[in-house]
Amino acid sequence: MSALTGSPFLQGTAERAERAARALRLWITAGPGLVWIVIFLILPSAILLAIGFFSIGNYGNPHLPLTLEPFREVAGYSILGWSPDNIETILRSLLQAISAAILTILLAYPVVFFIVAQPVALRPLLLLFVILPSWTNQVVRTYAWMELLGPGSALSHLAQTLGFIPPHLGLMPGVFAMQIGLTYNYLPYMVVPLYAAAEKLDWTLVEAGRDLYASGTKLFWSAVFPQTIPGLLSGIILVAIPAFGDYVVPTLLGGGKSMMIGSLIASQFLDTPNWPYGAALTIFMLVFTCGGLIVFRVMSKRLGTSEGSMI
Amino acid sequence: MSQQLARPIRRALLITSMPVYLLLYAPLALIAVFSFAPAPGGASASAHWYADLLHDPDVLAALRRSLILGIGSSILGTILGTLMGFGLSRFRTRARTGFAAALPSLIIYTPIIMPSLVFGISDLIFFNLMHKATGLFSAGLLTMGIAHVTFQAPYVALVVFARMAGLDPNLFEASQDLYADARQSFLHLTMPVIRPAIIGGFLLAFTLSIDDFTISYFTAGPGSTTLPIYIYSAVALKGISPDINALATLMIATVIGIGLLQYVFSRQKERHPMPRTGD
Repeated sequence: MSALTGSPFLQGTAERAERAARALRLWITAGPGLVWIVIFLILPSAILLAIGFFSIGNYGNPHLPLTLEPFREVAGYSILGWSPDNIETILRSLLQAISAAILTILLAYPVVFFIVAQPVALRPLLLLFVILPSWTNQVVRTYAWMELLGPGSALSHLAQTLGFIPPHLGLMPGVFAMQIGLTYNYLPYMVVPLYAAAEKLDWTLVEAGRDLYASGTKLFWSAVFPQTIPGLLSGIILVAIPAFGDYVVPTLLGGGKSMMIGSLIASQFLDTPNWPYGAALTIFMLVFTCGGLIVFRVMSKRLGTSEGSMI
Repeated sequence: MSQQLARPIRRALLITSMPVYLLLYAPLALIAVFSFAPAPGGASASAHWYADLLHDPDVLAALRRSLILGIGSSILGTILGTLMGFGLSRFRTRARTGFAAALPSLIIYTPIIMPSLVFGISDLIFFNLMHKATGLFSAGLLTMGIAHVTFQAPYVALVVFARMAGLDPNLFEASQDLYADARQSFLHLTMPVIRPAIIGGFLLAFTLSIDDFTISYFTAGPGSTTLPIYIYSAVALKGISPDINALATLMIATVIGIGLLQYVFSRQKERHPMPRTGD
C-alpha cells in the first residue's frame, strides 16, 4: 500500500500539516494589521479604562492607590459637595441623542422612499447625493451652521422678529443649534440602513393589502413599516451612539452653558487635566453605548434579521 | 413593483424629500458663496480670499501636513488592510466557531464602532505614557499617522474582503492545479481581481484621513496642525472669516470630487465583468 492511498494516520498528519500551513498564512497576512489594532487601539483603551480606578495625582495624572472616587465624581460629588451639573449634562446628551434619532427618522423616510420609487439605475446616484456631504470634514459641516444660526444671520433675525429669542441674541450657541448640528451631521447614517431595508422591500404584501382595499396609511403601517424596522434599528444605533458622545458639535454650537458628555470628557484631558475622572466618565459613556448595542442585538434577533455577509 | 406607487404618493415623496436634499447642501453652498466675499474696501464678489490663502504660510504648511499625513497613512493602511481582508477570506478555517474564530472580526470592528472621542483620548494617553517611558512617540504627525492607520486598515479590509467574497474559491484551486505557487497565484490571480478594491480602499482611506477631526485633534502635537485642526482653531478662537470659508470651500470641492470619482470608478469596474447577453 503506498502512502498516497492514505492510512488514517498519514491522512491525519497531512491534514494537520495543511491546517498548520493555513494558520501560518493567516498569521502572515492578517497578523500585522490585527496586531497593529491591538497595540494602538485595544491596549490604549484598556489603559484608559483602568485609569478610571486610580486616584488623582498632583498634575491630574493617575496615581495609586486604587479608588472608586472618580465614579463618585461622575455622580456629582466633589469636595464642594453634590451638584446636579453632571446629571444634567448626561441627561442633556441623552435627550440630544434621542431627539437627533427621531428627527433623522422623520427626514429619512421620505427621502428613502423617494429614492426607492426611482428607476433602479438612478438610485445609487441619488443615495450618493445624500452621503456626499458627510464625506466633508465634520468641522466644516458644523461651522457652516455657525454661519447660518449666528447672531447676525437671517434666521436669527427672523427668530428675533417672531419673538422666539430676545433681540441681539442668535439661535446659536445653545441646545437648539446643537440639535440641528447633530441631526445634520448624522442624517446620512439613518438614510443608508433605511434605504437598504426599503430597497429589498417585499411589495407583494403591499399589493395584497391594496387588493383588500386597505387605506394608504394602513398599508404603510401594516405592510411597509414593519419591513423597514431592521433598517430603522440600525439607523437609530448609528445616529444615537455617535451623537451621544459627539465632541465637535457641542464645542462649536453648544456654548459654555449647554455642555454634552463628549465636551465634558475632553476637557478632563485638554483643559485642567483630571485623567481618572475623565476615564470614569468615558467608562460611563461606554456602558451606555454597549447597553444600546445589546438592546439592538436582542431586538434584531427577535425580529429574525441576519447581519448579512460580514467579516 | 415600487414603480407602481400611486402618482399622488410619488409627488408627495418628491415634495417632502427635495427640502431634505436642500438642507444637506445649503450649508455647504453658503460657505462657498461667502468665500467669494468682496475684498476689503471692494464692493463686488472676488476671488481675493483664495489668492490670500496662497500667500498664507500657515495654511500652506497645514495643507502640506494634511497631504503627507493622508497619503502616508493611506499607503500603510491600505497595505495592512488589504492583507487582512485577503488573509481572512482565504485562510480562515470556516469550520471552527467560538471566541477564537470570532476574535479577528472583533478586532477589526473595534476601530469602526469605537466612538472617535474614546479612540482619540485612548491614543492621547497611550502616546503620552509611551513618550514618558521611551522618549519616542512625541505627539505630532507620526502619532496622528499611527492613529489614522488604525482606523483606515479595517475599512480597507472590509472593502477587500467584500471583493474576495464575490470570488469563486475554485479559482484558487485551479491555480494550484496548474502548479502556481503561493506567490504566483497572488500576483497573477488575486492581485488583478482585487485591484479595484485596493484602489477603492486607498481612496476611502485617504478621504477618511482628510475627514477626520476628533482623532487627529487628540493625537496632534504643537507643530502638527493639519487643515481640519487649523480651521477648528480659527473658528473656535476668532469666529468665521472669509478666508476660512475659502479654505473650507476648497476642501468641500476636493472631497466631493474624490467621492464622485470613486463612484464613477466603481461603476465602471462593476460593469466590466458582467456577462454580455445582447449583441
